[in-house]
Parts: sequence; structure tokens; C-alpha cells
Amino acid sequence: MHSLAKKAAEISAAALTLGFFALPIAFLISVSFKTPDDVLLGRFLPTHPTLENWPTAFAVTDLAHFILNSVIASILAGLLTIAIALPATYGMVRLKVGQAWLPDFTLSSYVAPPIVAVLPLFYLLKAVGLLNSLFGLILVYGFMNLPVAFWLLAPFLRQVPVAIEEAAALDGAGPFVTLVRVVAPMIAPGIAATLLISIILSYNEFLLASTLSQTDAARTLTVGVSLFQGERLENPGQMAVASLAGIVPVYVLALFGQRWLVKGLTHGGVK
Amino acid sequence: MPTPTSPGSASSALKVLSLTATFNTTLASLRVEPTRRLSWRFLWVAPLVAALTITTVYPGIFLIALAVSDSRLGKPFRAFSALKNFVASLSDPLFLEALGRSATYAVASSFVQLILGLAIALLLSALVKSGRFLMSLILLPLMTPPVMVGIAWKLILAPAGGLLNGVLMNLGITDAPISFLGTAGLAWLSVGVADVWQWTPFIAILCFAAIASLPGDVFEAAAIDGANAWQVFRRILLPLLAPQLAAIFLLRLVIAFKIFDLVYVLTFGGPGFHTTTASFHIWRRALEQFDVGRAAAETLIFTLVVGVVTLPVVWLAKHAAKAEAGHA
Repeated sequence: MHSLAKKAAEISAAALTLGFFALPIAFLISVSFKTPDDVLLGRFLPTHPTLENWPTAFAVTDLAHFILNSVIASILAGLLTIAIALPATYGMVRLKVGQAWLPDFTLSSYVAPPIVAVLPLFYLLKAVGLLNSLFGLILVYGFMNLPVAFWLLAPFLRQVPVAIEEAAALDGAGPFVTLVRVVAPMIAPGIAATLLISIILSYNEFLLASTLSQTDAARTLTVGVSLFQGERLENPGQMAVASLAGIVPVYVLALFGQRWLVKGLTHGGVK
Repeated sequence: MPTPTSPGSASSALKVLSLTATFNTTLASLRVEPTRRLSWRFLWVAPLVAALTITTVYPGIFLIALAVSDSRLGKPFRAFSALKNFVASLSDPLFLEALGRSATYAVASSFVQLILGLAIALLLSALVKSGRFLMSLILLPLMTPPVMVGIAWKLILAPAGGLLNGVLMNLGITDAPISFLGTAGLAWLSVGVADVWQWTPFIAILCFAAIASLPGDVFEAAAIDGANAWQVFRRILLPLLAPQLAAIFLLRLVIAFKIFDLVYVLTFGGPGFHTTTASFHIWRRALEQFDVGRAAAETLIFTLVVGVVTLPVVWLAKHAAKAEAGHA
């Protein structure tokens, strides 16, 4: 009896928690099917559901173009992050390169809030002609996410048994071949998690994008949606459509890689 | 080239020679063996070091240069202005208030989210099987772009047609709609709730992993001893988890100082300046007023504040981890 009551309490607490976390997304979905008059009623569900908001939101804005920009920028930036972070983390953790200062320096560079980099990077990109270009943004994102990538990758590399690398070395493999052929496949889930998280961080970024790429051609989704607020989309239904359409790519990525994500975020602590 | 000669001291000249010789051989050995190996090995981390130079070292130097100059966004470095920008920043009550707000918010929201996250983690561990499924679901807020989180909560909190006002009025709790984002205290609370929605799942997942890493027999022993749930939590779980909780708190503190998007979308720093954080204040100074010299000085002061607030927690986390290692 006592344990039954306890179970009931646990389940209702879990339902409450889940409800809180589901609410904003559920409400966005509901509003996306509402007419402006329907929104003003302040109810959860639409009274006269309409599909109109969906095509209209894509027609009156560059939504599809902004989403494409964000997808391209975040994927390429994610790959750049991995290309730099994997050898560097291996160098630090296993080959003890710069071990005395580099790990601390890498992690502490994450502490500074992003506002610190806004002005210096603005002038740097301006000087090299990469302001308002997707390529400039890709470089910035690829570099900015390195501390996070190091933080995520290092524990996975530490878990690889040294004996395996020694065996590879006895077979005459150099450290680079060992990393690519032997170690990387072993920590593939960690690399996947790091790649996914880097992509999502870039996809979601707003402050740097709003300053470094201000033209329509190179605008990313978060900046585009923030502009809709004041400009084109006075209609909450269309605003909800724009937000949802932008969320879909990350959610697809998150659901597809959920196993790696949980593992990556907990340093392999949750199996 | 004239060499300095001290009177009648062949021995000292010899000494200098031998010293030079030693020095040369040391140099040579450095140049040949370890240096070459060092330089090749450095290639492993060279791209990382170059990237961090661009994202961290260069901005630091550039900001110092901007801060001691009279600079506009379109025309930086117009004149050297020494410490004028720092003096102006430190005597600007609006900036000092924004600094205080950022620090207070970071500490307060970190405490709240750590407590909520730990509670959710305990709940998930109690629900064993469905817990894992719930965990991948509550991962989604973390993945949602903060701009979209802001828009979703704005729709919920809106005075006209907002869900919350609709519910409150239907239940007869209020007669007129409440302007949640237009009222000083409520606006901060709203930003805080949206932030809780976005980041608590991450804290919960980290706490869950920390709990999962504890040896199971501790709980069995406690259960045999007849300890109740609160005693187990207070006497066993909390002390064992302390080092990891300190590390999670530190991570959350660092993230809390980065808040920008939610403020931008939900309140734009208002009403008045009531939700203007240091980041948002600096952003307006640089990109609305174009005074980048002053903004650079404010950024450097803000970075210092972040360091001062964060360092004790770094120390605490390290200390806790060491104490833990000492026990083991």
C-alpha cells in the first residue's frame, strides 16, 4: 500500500515534469493552426483549425533559404570542429603535447561569454573580407565550439586502453595512422556525439550570426526568425510556423542520435 | 669586436669560455634532438592553438586596444583616450546595475536549476525503465534554438491571447490580463522560467549520470539499516555526490553568464532596464549606439566580474574532487 502510493506520487511527478517540458512546443504546434482571431481567445487548442499559416509563412519570408543556410553552416562548422579537435585532443591526452597548459587554456577559453568575441571578430572578418559570408560564419563556429568538443572527446580518449595503441605501434603504425585506423573507430560514439552537439550549437547560435552576417544572402535561421518578430510576421500563427520549421531539423538530428547524445553529454557515464 | 678583459684573470676567461661551450652544446642538443621532436609533435595541437588564438587571445588584445581609444563602430581607433572609457563605465550606474544583475542571475539561476535538475534526476532513477525513455525526451529543450524558446514562451505569456492569461482568467484568478513581460519582477521571472525550461534537462542528465556512477551496495546497506528516503538522500547521496554537484554547478554558472538570446527575444532588456544583463547592455552600447571603445571597456570589466564570481567555484570544485580522491 505504502509503495503503491509512492509509485503514484512518482508517476504524477514525472507526468508534471513532462508536461512542463512539452508545453511550449505543444503550444507552438497548436498556435500554428490558429487564425489571428482564434489566437486572441487564449485557449490551448485551436477552435477552427486552419492550415493556411504553413504555406503563407514560407511564401512571405525567405524561411526555406535561411534554414538551408543554417543547415549548411552548422554541418560544415561541425566537421571543421572535429577535424581540429580530434587530433588535438589525442595529442594532449595520449601524446602529452602541451599537457601542462593547453587543456586548462582550452577549457578556460569557454568561460568568457560570447559577447567578448563579437567586436573583435566583426573587425577581423571585415578586414579579411569575410563579413556577411557563410564561409566566415563557418570558420567562426568551427573555432568557437572547440573547447566544448575537447571537453566531450577527452573522456572517451582516456578510456581507450593504452595496450591497443602499443600493439599498433609494434605493428609499425605511426601515431596518426593509429588514431585514424584504430582509436577513432573505437570512440566512434564519442565522435558522433561531439559532431552532433557541435552542429546543434552552431545551428542554434544567434548573437554572433546577428552581428557577423547581416545580409539576406548569408542570414541564418535564428537571425531571420528574430527579424520576423518586428517585420513581416505580425500574425502569431505564422510566427509559430517559422519557429517550428526551424526546430524540426535539430529535433530530427536529436532523435536520430539520442543514444550518442546522452552518452556524450554524460561522458559515457550512462549506458 | 672588443672583448671586455678583466685584469690578470686567465682563469675567469677560461671559465667564460667553458660556460659558453656548455651553453652552445646545450643549444645544439636542444636544436637537434628534443626541439625537433617537440616541433613535430606540436603539429597535433597547432590548429587548435591557432583557432584559440583567434577566438580568445586576439579578442583580448583587440578589446584592450579598443578600450583605450575613442572608437565608433564604423571608425575605430580615432584617438588614444587612455582610461577614459574605463572611468566612464565604472561611474555609469546603468552599467554597474547590469553587472550586478548578471552576477545575481547567474548564481541564483544556477542554484535553482541544480536543485530542480537533481530532483528530476532522482525521479528518473526511481522510475528505472521509463526513466531512460523520459531522459531522451527531456533532451529536446536543450536542443531547441534559444530564439525559438523565447518565441514559444512569449506566445504563452502574451497579454493578448497568451495561454497563461487565458487559463488564469478562465479560472477567475484575474479579471484583466497580466503583462508578464512588461512588469519588472515578473519579466525576470519569465526569463528565468524559460531558462529553466531550456537548461534544467541538461543539469538533470548530468546529475543522473553522477547518481548512476555511485556503487549500488551503499543504498542496499542503508535500506537494511532501515534508513528512510530523506535520510538516504541527506546522509549518503548528498555527501557522495558533492564533488560532482560542485562541478555541475560550475558548468551551469559559466553557461548562465552567457545568457543573451532569451533576453533579446522575450524582453529586449525591459521593461525599462529591468532585465538588461551585462551582455545585453554591451551589445546595445556597441551595435545601437556604436560606441565600441566604451563597449570594449565594459566587456573587459564584465569578463573580470565573470572571473571573480567563477573562480571561488572552480576552487571549490577542485577542492571537493581532491577531498573525494583522498577518501578513496
